Amino acid sequence: MSAPTDIHSLAGAYALHALDAGERELFDDHLAGCSVCRNEVAELRETAARLADDAWEIPPPRLRQQVLNQIASTRQALPPMRRSSRRGPMIRHRTRMLVAAGVAAIVAAAGVYAVQELRLRDQRISAHAEAQRIEAVLTAPDAVLRTSAVQGGGTLTIAMSPSRDQAVIMLRDAKTPDWNKVYQFWLIQGANPNPAGHLVRDQNSATRVVSGVRGMNVLGLTMEAPGGSVTPSLPILAQIPLT
Amino acid sequence: MLMKGAPSREPAAGNPGEGADSLLRATAKGDEAAFARLYDLVAGRVYGLIRRVLRDAAQAEEVTQEVMVEVWRTAGRFDPARGTATAWVFTIAHRRAVDRVRSEQAGSDRVRRLVPEREAQHDVVVEEATARLERQQVRRCLKTLTELQREAITLAYYGGYTYSEVAQLLEAALPTVKTRMRDGLIRLRDCLGVSVA
Repeated sequence: MSAPTDIHSLAGAYALHALDAGERELFDDHLAGCSVCRNEVAELRETAARLADDAWEIPPPRLRQQVLNQIASTRQALPPMRRSSRRGPMIRHRTRMLVAAGVAAIVAAAGVYAVQELRLRDQRISAHAEAQRIEAVLTAPDAVLRTSAVQGGGTLTIAMSPSRDQAVIMLRDAKTPDWNKVYQFWLIQGANPNPAGHLVRDQNSATRVVSGVRGMNVLGLTMEAPGGSVTPSLPILAQIPLT
Repeated sequence: MLMKGAPSREPAAGNPGEGADSLLRATAKGDEAAFARLYDLVAGRVYGLIRRVLRDAAQAEEVTQEVMVEVWRTAGRFDPARGTATAWVFTIAHRRAVDRVRSEQAGSDRVRRLVPEREAQHDVVVEEATARLERQQVRRCLKTLTELQREAITLAYYGGYTYSEVAQLLEAALPTVKTRMRDGLIRLRDCLGVSVA
Protein backbone atom coordinates (compact mmCIF):
# COMPACT_ATOMS: atom_id res chain seq x y z
CA MET A 1 0.00 0.00 0.00
CA SER A 2 1.30 3.44 -0.73
CA ALA A 3 -0.21 6.85 -0.54
CA PRO A 4 1.04 10.37 -0.91
CA THR A 5 1.21 12.19 2.38
CA ASP A 6 1.97 15.78 3.15
CA ILE A 7 4.07 15.51 6.30
CA HIS A 8 2.53 18.52 8.07
CA SER A 9 -0.98 17.18 7.88
CA LEU A 10 0.07 14.02 9.75
CA ALA A 11 0.00 15.99 13.02
CA GLY A 12 -3.48 14.70 13.91
CA ALA A 13 -2.70 11.07 13.20
CA TYR A 14 0.59 11.49 15.08
CA ALA A 15 -1.16 12.86 18.18
CA LEU A 16 -3.59 9.92 18.02
CA HIS A 17 -0.71 7.40 17.77
CA ALA A 18 -2.18 6.40 14.41
CA LEU A 19 1.03 6.37 12.36
CA ASP A 20 2.99 3.23 11.64
CA ALA A 21 6.53 3.01 12.97
CA GLY A 22 8.28 4.32 9.85
CA GLU A 23 6.02 7.33 9.44
CA ARG A 24 6.23 8.13 13.12
CA GLU A 25 10.00 8.20 12.94
CA LEU A 26 9.98 10.48 9.93
CA PHE A 27 7.44 12.74 11.58
CA ASP A 28 9.59 12.88 14.72
CA ASP A 29 12.46 14.07 12.56
CA HIS A 30 10.22 16.59 10.89
CA LEU A 31 9.08 17.86 14.31
CA ALA A 32 12.65 18.41 15.40
CA GLY A 33 12.98 21.11 12.75
CA CYS A 34 9.50 22.64 12.92
CA SER A 35 8.57 24.59 16.05
CA VAL A 36 5.10 25.46 14.74
CA CYS A 37 4.42 21.73 14.32
CA ARG A 38 5.70 21.00 17.83
CA ASN A 39 3.24 23.47 19.33
CA GLU A 40 0.42 22.09 17.27
CA VAL A 41 1.28 18.52 18.25
CA ALA A 42 1.46 19.48 21.94
CA GLU A 43 -2.05 20.92 21.75
CA LEU A 44 -3.49 18.08 19.70
CA ARG A 45 -1.93 15.55 22.06
CA GLU A 46 -3.41 17.38 25.03
CA THR A 47 -6.77 17.31 23.22
CA ALA A 48 -6.51 13.62 22.36
CA ALA A 49 -5.71 12.83 25.99
CA ARG A 50 -9.04 14.39 26.99
CA LEU A 51 -10.73 11.53 25.15
CA ALA A 52 -9.59 9.34 28.03
CA ASP A 53 -12.18 11.18 30.15
CA ASP A 54 -14.80 9.23 28.27
CA ALA A 55 -13.19 5.85 28.90
CA TRP A 56 -13.41 5.80 32.67
CA GLU A 57 -13.94 2.37 34.19
CA ILE A 58 -13.43 0.92 37.67
CA PRO A 59 -10.06 -0.85 37.76
CA PRO A 60 -9.72 -4.18 39.59
CA PRO A 61 -9.29 -3.23 43.28
CA ARG A 62 -6.20 -5.43 43.72
CA LEU A 63 -4.39 -3.46 41.04
CA ARG A 64 -3.75 -0.51 43.36
CA GLN A 65 -1.78 -2.59 45.85
CA GLN A 66 0.07 -4.44 43.08
CA VAL A 67 1.22 -1.12 41.62
CA LEU A 68 2.17 0.33 45.01
CA ASN A 69 4.16 -2.81 45.83
CA GLN A 70 5.99 -2.66 42.55
CA ILE A 71 6.91 1.02 42.69
CA ALA A 72 8.26 0.55 46.22
CA SER A 73 11.02 -1.52 44.65
CA THR A 74 11.40 0.43 41.40
CA ARG A 75 14.19 2.93 41.04
CA GLN A 76 13.17 6.26 39.49
CA ALA A 77 14.87 7.66 36.41
CA LEU A 78 16.74 10.91 36.81
CA PRO A 79 14.99 13.95 35.36
CA PRO A 80 16.59 15.47 32.26
CA MET A 81 19.06 18.31 32.82
CA ARG A 82 17.31 21.65 32.92
CA ARG A 83 19.35 24.82 32.83
CA SER A 84 17.03 27.14 34.67
CA SER A 85 13.42 28.11 35.05
CA ARG A 86 13.69 30.42 32.04
CA ARG A 87 12.20 28.54 29.17
CA GLY A 88 13.80 30.14 26.14
CA PRO A 89 17.33 28.81 26.31
CA MET A 90 16.19 25.45 27.62
CA ILE A 91 13.84 24.90 24.73
CA ARG A 92 16.39 25.95 22.15
CA HIS A 93 18.90 23.66 23.75
CA ARG A 94 16.45 20.80 23.78
CA THR A 95 15.51 21.41 20.17
CA ARG A 96 19.09 21.12 19.10
CA MET A 97 19.39 17.89 21.01
CA LEU A 98 16.20 16.59 19.44
CA VAL A 99 17.45 17.40 15.97
CA ALA A 100 20.74 15.75 16.73
CA ALA A 101 19.02 12.72 18.23
CA GLY A 102 16.58 12.38 15.33
CA VAL A 103 19.27 12.65 12.75
CA ALA A 104 21.51 10.32 14.69
CA ALA A 105 18.71 7.75 14.69
CA ILE A 106 18.36 7.95 10.93
CA VAL A 107 22.07 7.81 10.36
CA ALA A 108 22.38 4.92 12.78
CA ALA A 109 19.65 3.15 10.84
CA ALA A 110 21.85 3.38 7.80
CA GLY A 111 24.28 1.21 9.76
CA VAL A 112 26.94 -0.23 7.57
CA TYR A 113 26.20 2.39 4.98
CA ALA A 114 26.92 5.38 7.17
CA VAL A 115 30.23 4.14 8.45
CA GLN A 116 31.73 2.08 5.67
CA GLU A 117 30.04 2.52 2.37
CA LEU A 118 29.85 6.28 2.74
CA ARG A 119 33.62 6.40 3.17
CA LEU A 120 34.10 4.39 0.01
CA ARG A 121 31.72 6.46 -2.02
CA ASP A 122 33.05 9.86 -1.25
CA GLN A 123 35.56 10.45 1.46
CA ARG A 124 34.93 14.16 1.48
CA ILE A 125 31.32 13.86 2.49
CA SER A 126 31.33 13.53 6.24
CA ALA A 127 28.56 11.74 8.12
CA HIS A 128 27.66 15.14 9.50
CA ALA A 129 27.03 16.60 6.08
CA GLU A 130 24.98 13.56 5.18
CA ALA A 131 22.88 14.04 8.30
CA GLN A 132 22.28 17.64 7.28
CA ARG A 133 21.19 16.58 3.80
CA ILE A 134 18.72 14.11 5.30
CA GLU A 135 17.38 16.71 7.66
CA ALA A 136 17.05 19.27 4.86
CA VAL A 137 14.81 16.92 2.88
CA LEU A 138 12.73 15.88 5.89
CA THR A 139 12.07 19.45 6.97
CA ALA A 140 11.41 20.86 3.49
CA PRO A 141 8.00 22.54 3.38
CA ASP A 142 6.91 20.43 0.42
CA ALA A 143 8.23 17.12 1.76
CA VAL A 144 5.86 14.28 0.92
CA LEU A 145 5.94 10.88 2.55
CA ARG A 146 5.01 7.56 0.97
CA THR A 147 5.39 4.03 2.30
CA SER A 148 5.01 0.55 0.90
CA ALA A 149 5.37 -2.93 2.32
CA VAL A 150 8.24 -4.99 0.88
CA GLN A 151 7.61 -8.48 -0.45
CA GLY A 152 9.06 -10.87 2.13
CA GLY A 153 8.82 -8.34 4.98
CA GLY A 154 9.84 -4.84 5.98
CA THR A 155 8.91 -1.42 4.64
CA LEU A 156 10.17 0.93 1.99
CA THR A 157 9.60 4.63 2.67
CA ILE A 158 10.42 7.70 0.63
CA ALA A 159 10.33 11.30 1.82
CA MET A 160 10.51 13.43 -1.31
CA SER A 161 10.96 17.16 -1.73
CA PRO A 162 10.32 18.22 -5.34
CA SER A 163 11.55 21.75 -4.61
CA ARG A 164 14.93 20.37 -3.52
CA ASP A 165 14.85 17.69 -6.22
CA GLN A 166 15.93 15.28 -3.48
CA ALA A 167 14.51 12.39 -1.52
CA VAL A 168 15.37 10.27 1.48
CA ILE A 169 14.81 6.57 0.83
CA MET A 170 14.52 4.29 3.85
CA LEU A 171 14.46 0.53 3.79
CA ARG A 172 13.55 -1.00 7.12
CA ASP A 173 13.75 -4.57 8.36
CA ALA A 174 13.56 -6.23 4.97
CA LYS A 175 14.32 -9.92 4.68
CA THR A 176 18.08 -10.53 4.76
CA PRO A 177 19.07 -11.16 1.13
CA ASP A 178 20.60 -14.43 -0.03
CA TRP A 179 24.41 -14.46 0.14
CA ASN A 180 24.75 -13.69 -3.57
CA LYS A 181 22.19 -10.85 -3.65
CA VAL A 182 21.92 -7.23 -2.49
CA TYR A 183 19.01 -4.78 -2.42
CA GLN A 184 18.96 -2.07 -5.07
CA PHE A 185 16.77 1.03 -5.42
CA TRP A 186 15.45 2.26 -8.77
CA LEU A 187 13.93 5.55 -9.83
CA ILE A 188 11.74 4.79 -12.80
CA GLN A 189 10.77 7.42 -15.33
CA GLY A 190 8.23 6.14 -17.83
CA ALA A 191 9.76 2.85 -18.97
CA ASN A 192 13.32 3.78 -17.97
CA PRO A 193 14.67 2.46 -14.66
CA ASN A 194 17.60 4.47 -13.27
CA PRO A 195 19.79 2.82 -10.64
CA ALA A 196 19.41 4.78 -7.38
CA GLY A 197 21.88 2.99 -5.19
CA HIS A 198 22.40 -0.51 -3.94
CA LEU A 199 23.19 -1.95 -0.54
CA VAL A 200 25.88 -4.41 0.46
CA ARG A 201 25.61 -8.11 1.30
CA ASP A 202 23.46 -8.96 4.32
CA GLN A 203 22.24 -5.37 4.56
CA ASN A 204 18.48 -5.23 5.07
CA SER A 205 18.02 -1.65 6.33
CA ALA A 206 19.33 1.60 4.92
CA THR A 207 18.75 5.33 4.66
CA ARG A 208 19.76 7.08 1.44
CA VAL A 209 19.59 10.60 0.14
CA VAL A 210 19.10 10.65 -3.63
CA SER A 211 19.00 13.58 -6.02
CA GLY A 212 17.32 14.04 -9.37
CA VAL A 213 13.91 12.80 -8.25
CA ARG A 214 11.87 15.41 -10.10
CA GLY A 215 9.92 13.86 -12.95
CA MET A 216 10.44 10.32 -11.67
CA ASN A 217 7.26 8.22 -11.62
CA VAL A 218 8.08 5.26 -9.41
CA LEU A 219 10.53 4.18 -6.72
CA GLY A 220 11.30 0.48 -7.05
CA LEU A 221 13.21 -2.09 -5.01
CA THR A 222 14.78 -5.27 -6.40
CA MET A 223 17.46 -7.79 -5.49
CA GLU A 224 20.53 -7.78 -7.68
CA ALA A 225 24.00 -9.32 -7.76
CA PRO A 226 26.46 -7.69 -5.33
CA GLY A 227 27.73 -4.46 -6.82
CA GLY A 228 24.36 -3.63 -8.35
CA SER A 229 22.95 -3.91 -11.87
CA VAL A 230 22.21 -1.47 -14.66
CA THR A 231 18.76 -2.95 -15.28
CA PRO A 232 16.40 -4.29 -12.62
CA SER A 233 15.78 -8.02 -12.22
CA LEU A 234 12.26 -9.19 -11.57
CA PRO A 235 10.44 -9.46 -9.29
CA ILE A 236 10.04 -5.90 -8.10
CA LEU A 237 9.85 -6.34 -4.33
CA ALA A 238 8.25 -2.97 -3.62
CA GLN A 239 7.19 0.00 -5.68
CA ILE A 240 5.92 3.40 -4.70
CA PRO A 241 4.27 5.73 -7.22
CA LEU A 242 5.82 9.18 -6.93
CA THR A 243 3.46 11.27 -8.98
CA MET B 1 -1.19 25.26 30.28
CA LEU B 2 -4.13 27.61 30.08
CA MET B 3 -7.71 26.60 29.69
CA LYS B 4 -9.88 28.92 27.70
CA GLY B 5 -13.28 28.84 29.31
CA ALA B 6 -13.06 25.22 30.38
CA PRO B 7 -14.68 24.66 33.74
CA SER B 8 -12.11 22.30 35.13
CA ARG B 9 -8.81 20.76 34.20
CA GLU B 10 -8.95 17.92 36.69
CA PRO B 11 -11.59 15.23 37.03
CA ALA B 12 -14.34 15.49 39.59
CA ALA B 13 -12.93 12.38 41.27
CA GLY B 14 -10.03 12.63 43.71
CA ASN B 15 -9.11 15.31 46.21
CA PRO B 16 -10.30 18.70 45.07
CA GLY B 17 -7.52 21.24 45.24
CA GLU B 18 -4.80 18.66 44.86
CA GLY B 19 -4.08 18.63 41.16
CA ALA B 20 -2.39 15.92 39.19
CA ASP B 21 0.39 18.36 38.30
CA SER B 22 1.56 18.85 41.88
CA LEU B 23 1.09 15.16 42.69
CA LEU B 24 3.23 14.20 39.71
CA ARG B 25 5.94 16.69 40.71
CA ALA B 26 5.97 15.25 44.23
CA THR B 27 6.07 11.75 42.74
CA ALA B 28 9.19 12.75 40.80
CA LYS B 29 10.89 13.38 44.16
CA GLY B 30 10.09 9.88 45.37
CA ASP B 31 6.94 10.68 47.35
CA GLU B 32 5.04 7.37 47.37
CA ALA B 33 2.01 8.83 49.13
CA ALA B 34 1.65 11.46 46.41
CA PHE B 35 1.94 8.73 43.82
CA ALA B 36 -0.84 6.76 45.56
CA ARG B 37 -3.11 9.82 45.38
CA LEU B 38 -2.16 10.33 41.75
CA TYR B 39 -3.08 6.70 41.14
CA ASP B 40 -6.52 7.29 42.63
CA LEU B 41 -6.95 10.32 40.44
CA VAL B 42 -6.04 8.74 37.10
CA ALA B 43 -6.37 4.95 37.43
CA GLY B 44 -10.02 4.86 36.36
CA ARG B 45 -9.28 6.60 33.10
CA VAL B 46 -5.95 4.82 32.51
CA TYR B 47 -7.54 1.42 33.03
CA GLY B 48 -10.72 2.37 31.15
CA LEU B 49 -8.77 3.68 28.18
CA ILE B 50 -6.48 0.66 27.98
CA ARG B 51 -9.42 -1.68 28.39
CA ARG B 52 -11.28 0.15 25.61
CA VAL B 53 -8.35 -0.31 23.25
CA LEU B 54 -7.38 -3.87 24.23
CA ARG B 55 -10.86 -5.24 25.12
CA ASP B 56 -9.34 -7.96 27.26
CA ALA B 57 -9.62 -7.25 31.00
CA ALA B 58 -6.63 -9.36 32.07
CA GLN B 59 -4.36 -7.69 29.52
CA ALA B 60 -5.72 -4.29 30.43
CA GLU B 61 -4.83 -4.90 34.06
CA GLU B 62 -1.32 -5.94 33.15
CA VAL B 63 -0.75 -2.94 30.86
CA THR B 64 -2.26 -0.55 33.41
CA GLN B 65 0.25 -1.78 35.94
CA GLU B 66 3.10 -1.29 33.44
CA VAL B 67 1.89 2.23 32.69
CA MET B 68 1.55 3.29 36.32
CA VAL B 69 5.00 1.94 37.13
CA GLU B 70 6.37 3.85 34.14
CA VAL B 71 4.67 6.99 35.48
CA TRP B 72 6.46 6.45 38.78
CA ARG B 73 9.77 5.71 37.12
CA THR B 74 9.78 8.60 34.64
CA ALA B 75 7.83 11.24 36.60
CA GLY B 76 10.94 13.46 36.55
CA ARG B 77 10.64 13.79 32.79
CA PHE B 78 7.24 15.45 32.97
CA ASP B 79 7.57 19.01 31.69
CA PRO B 80 4.63 21.25 32.72
CA ALA B 81 5.54 23.67 29.91
CA ARG B 82 4.41 21.08 27.39
CA GLY B 83 1.03 20.07 28.81
CA THR B 84 -0.88 18.86 31.83
CA ALA B 85 0.11 15.95 34.06
CA THR B 86 -3.08 14.03 33.26
CA ALA B 87 -2.46 14.34 29.51
CA TRP B 88 1.12 13.16 30.06
CA VAL B 89 -0.14 10.07 31.89
CA PHE B 90 -2.89 9.31 29.36
CA THR B 91 -0.45 9.73 26.48
CA ILE B 92 1.80 7.06 28.03
CA ALA B 93 -1.23 4.83 28.62
CA HIS B 94 -2.52 5.20 25.08
CA ARG B 95 0.93 4.65 23.57
CA ARG B 96 1.37 1.43 25.56
CA ALA B 97 -2.09 0.14 24.72
CA VAL B 98 -1.60 0.81 21.03
CA ASP B 99 1.85 -0.79 21.06
CA ARG B 100 0.37 -3.89 22.66
CA VAL B 101 -2.40 -4.15 20.09
CA ARG B 102 -0.04 -3.70 17.16
CA SER B 103 2.55 -6.12 18.44
CA GLU B 104 -0.05 -8.84 18.74
CA GLN B 105 -2.03 -8.64 15.56
CA ALA B 106 -1.31 -8.18 11.90
CA GLY B 107 -3.04 -5.04 10.67
CA SER B 108 -5.36 -6.43 8.04
CA ASP B 109 -6.55 -9.30 10.24
CA ARG B 110 -7.37 -6.90 13.00
CA VAL B 111 -9.41 -4.68 10.74
CA ARG B 112 -11.40 -7.57 9.33
CA ARG B 113 -11.94 -9.15 12.71
CA LEU B 114 -13.13 -6.02 14.41
CA VAL B 115 -15.44 -4.54 11.82
CA PRO B 116 -18.58 -6.15 13.30
CA GLU B 117 -17.53 -5.03 16.76
CA ARG B 118 -17.85 -1.38 15.92
CA GLU B 119 -21.57 -1.52 16.60
CA ALA B 120 -21.08 -3.52 19.78
CA GLN B 121 -18.63 -0.93 20.99
CA HIS B 122 -21.21 1.73 20.40
CA ASP B 123 -23.66 0.04 22.78
CA VAL B 124 -21.02 -0.13 25.45
CA VAL B 125 -20.39 3.57 25.04
CA VAL B 126 -24.07 4.30 25.56
CA GLU B 127 -24.33 2.06 28.62
CA GLU B 128 -21.36 3.66 30.26
CA ALA B 129 -23.01 7.04 30.36
CA THR B 130 -22.60 8.81 33.69
CA ALA B 131 -22.97 12.33 34.84
CA ARG B 132 -19.27 13.02 35.05
CA LEU B 133 -18.55 16.52 33.91
CA GLU B 134 -15.50 15.85 31.78
CA ARG B 135 -17.17 12.99 30.08
CA GLN B 136 -20.15 15.11 29.21
CA GLN B 137 -17.91 17.83 27.93
CA VAL B 138 -15.92 15.45 25.74
CA ARG B 139 -19.11 13.95 24.36
CA ARG B 140 -20.70 17.32 23.74
CA CYS B 141 -17.61 18.38 21.84
CA LEU B 142 -17.39 15.12 19.91
CA LYS B 143 -20.92 15.87 18.71
CA THR B 144 -19.75 19.11 17.12
CA LEU B 145 -17.53 17.15 14.74
CA THR B 146 -18.62 15.86 11.35
CA GLU B 147 -19.39 12.17 11.30
CA LEU B 148 -16.18 11.36 9.42
CA GLN B 149 -14.04 13.46 11.77
CA ARG B 150 -15.60 11.79 14.79
CA GLU B 151 -15.32 8.27 13.43
CA ALA B 152 -11.73 8.75 12.31
CA ILE B 153 -10.67 10.11 15.70
CA THR B 154 -12.55 7.61 17.87
CA LEU B 155 -11.46 4.60 15.80
CA ALA B 156 -7.85 5.70 16.06
CA TYR B 157 -7.98 6.62 19.73
CA TYR B 158 -10.31 4.04 21.25
CA GLY B 159 -9.69 1.36 18.63
CA GLY B 160 -5.93 1.77 18.41
CA TYR B 161 -6.00 1.68 14.62
CA THR B 162 -3.43 3.30 12.36
CA TYR B 163 -4.85 5.89 10.01
CA SER B 164 -4.50 3.55 7.05
CA GLU B 165 -6.53 0.95 8.95
CA VAL B 166 -9.10 3.63 9.76
CA ALA B 167 -9.27 4.48 6.04
CA GLN B 168 -9.95 0.82 5.30
CA LEU B 169 -12.64 0.62 7.97
CA LEU B 170 -14.38 3.77 6.80
CA GLU B 171 -13.77 3.05 3.12
CA ALA B 172 -12.34 6.53 2.79
CA ALA B 173 -9.25 7.82 1.00
CA LEU B 174 -6.04 7.98 3.05
CA PRO B 175 -5.44 11.71 2.62
CA THR B 176 -9.05 12.39 3.63
CA VAL B 177 -8.74 10.38 6.84
CA LYS B 178 -5.42 12.00 7.71
CA THR B 179 -6.90 15.45 7.16
CA ARG B 180 -10.09 14.68 9.09
CA MET B 181 -8.04 13.48 12.08
CA ARG B 182 -6.18 16.76 12.15
CA ASP B 183 -9.05 19.18 11.54
CA GLY B 184 -11.30 17.12 13.84
CA LEU B 185 -8.77 17.34 16.67
CA ILE B 186 -8.40 21.06 16.06
CA ARG B 187 -12.16 21.53 16.32
CA LEU B 188 -12.21 19.39 19.47
CA ARG B 189 -9.34 21.41 20.91
CA ASP B 190 -11.24 24.66 20.38
CA CYS B 191 -14.46 23.20 21.81
CA LEU B 192 -12.69 21.87 24.91
CA GLY B 193 -10.72 25.08 25.30
CA VAL B 194 -7.39 23.28 25.37
CA SER B 195 -4.21 25.26 24.89
CA VAL B 196 -0.64 24.65 25.86
CA ALA B 197 1.14 27.68 27.22
